[in-house]
Amino acid sequence: MNDLAIEATGLTKLFGDFKAVDNLDLQVPKGTVVSLLGPNGAGKTTTVRMLATLLRPDSGSAKVNGYDVVREAGAVRRTTSLTGQFAALDPNLTCRENLTLIARLRGMDRATASARADTLLERFDATEFASRLIKQVSGGERRRVDLAASLIEQPELLVLDEPTTGLDPRSRQVVWTTVRELVAEGITLLLTTQYLEEADALADRIVLIDHGREIAAGTPAELKAQVGEQRIDVIAADTPAFEQLSKALADQGFETTLMPELRRISVAAPNEVLDLTRVSQAVAATGIAIDEIALRRPTLDDAFIALTGHAAESTDNQADDQAKELVA
Amino acid sequence: MITYARETTLLTWRGLRAITRVPERLLDVTIQPVVFILLFLYVFGAAIQVHGISYKDFLFPGIIAQSLAFGIMGTGTATANDMREGVVDRFRSMPVGRLSIISGQVMGQLCEQLLGLVITVVLGLILGWRPSFDLGHGLELFGLVALSMLAFTWMGVYVGMVVRSSDAVQGVGFIVIFPLTFMAGTFVPIAKMDLIPRTIGDWDPISAFVATLRKLTENYPSSGSWPLDHPELAMLIWSLVLLGLFVPLALRRFNKGLAS
Repeated sequence: MNDLAIEATGLTKLFGDFKAVDNLDLQVPKGTVVSLLGPNGAGKTTTVRMLATLLRPDSGSAKVNGYDVVREAGAVRRTTSLTGQFAALDPNLTCRENLTLIARLRGMDRATASARADTLLERFDATEFASRLIKQVSGGERRRVDLAASLIEQPELLVLDEPTTGLDPRSRQVVWTTVRELVAEGITLLLTTQYLEEADALADRIVLIDHGREIAAGTPAELKAQVGEQRIDVIAADTPAFEQLSKALADQGFETTLMPELRRISVAAPNEVLDLTRVSQAVAATGIAIDEIALRRPTLDDAFIALTGHAAESTDNQADDQAKELVA
Repeated sequence: MITYARETTLLTWRGLRAITRVPERLLDVTIQPVVFILLFLYVFGAAIQVHGISYKDFLFPGIIAQSLAFGIMGTGTATANDMREGVVDRFRSMPVGRLSIISGQVMGQLCEQLLGLVITVVLGLILGWRPSFDLGHGLELFGLVALSMLAFTWMGVYVGMVVRSSDAVQGVGFIVIFPLTFMAGTFVPIAKMDLIPRTIGDWDPISAFVATLRKLTENYPSSGSWPLDHPELAMLIWSLVLLGLFVPLALRRFNKGLAS
């Protein structure tokens, strides 16, 4: 028995000519949280669907909890729970009915299933809306029930595909808190996200992917060291101002990244507030009109620019849509 | 086997629960036959003469066979919608048999179609349709109708998985199934049609179903081709052929691209 919950080698999935996942290696040690970070269409969903036995890899192999995802799919399904990007619940059943149905499909008798559903509804603060139909509850509430459904039987590995995309801040907090509790209980977690902040907050290790390939990997601290800590964004008042200002700041030796379509000049700020003062003074000295100046934490875009030299391209979930299309 | 039965029962329950939650769905299986009954009985019916039988008695077996065939569209639409919901993905990622998941889908749809059929028959009886058959023919009728419903349901489940949009199911249904139900001698005798529709009608599987129902409930014979001369046998063969074709196709489609 080795100590890896996920061990994938050369994982590849093609949809026609489109390489959704391209020779991806992934190791997730037991008891850790690994985050797959990338923009829409990067291949995150396709990867987790292969690991959850919903898609067959075209080449490469993967072991989940020590079982091969193709040859031992049954054992993988017994020991893994997937919470997909879109709530995997029956809209015409109540929250409670969804949970008891899943519990009974996992082999529990009626009484055990009912008790388990109650425990989970309480844990996820969902008792209040338990008897409402899934299609009548809010996105955040649905997401909580969805998470509960994945924990009917404590899995060895829990896969969460973009658990907070589209959620309000409060529901996001509930998800984050739950993830931290589960980790404390010793569950292994693979989490995909588009938010650097989320990966940073939850993961022991981040794998940054784009176009189905690994771009970078490391602990959040290691990645942030490559990305640069904080940045200062200056938004110019109009396009001529943007051009003059970007030239002026570059001339003064500031390290800048330009986003002309947003009229945004992003300046590295290793010294944080001290740099903010310096940049503000430099801008004021030029007399050029700006709309906004602010110090902020790095985002996924910054990480991409720092690590690949280009901005993250969203392909509008093309790969994920195709993934859904093909399993029909 | 016990696990299969248990899982299928649970998943069938899921489908049936949806009927109580979205009763509008039943309109699909009831409104169409009702419209056709009223349209043909009272709008066209008065002008249609069929030799040797009242038009009411000629019409109802046809309408019932047509509703059976429309079950393909109803099942297809429901399946296309259901597969888009993530819940089927959850079942698939769980240790639940693949066959159980698709059987649950088929059983749920079958019950819905059955309910539609009962409503159509009851409406027919209220409007004065008087079928007559002995016990033997009654059992034969029940067996053949159940088998053909099962075949059409599997076909609908397959179609629903292939097209993946309920609008597309409606479109395909309108172009293919709708004309086939009209050429099947549902509303007027096939023998009086033009050459092309008559030839299609003679060999249309739905014709065999219409002819069987007409023979078993009204003792009214059809003729013109081998299937029409032997409607019960033709209906049995057609149902088995459809099952033999669409059960494996649906299972393969369901497992496509998936690990074993």
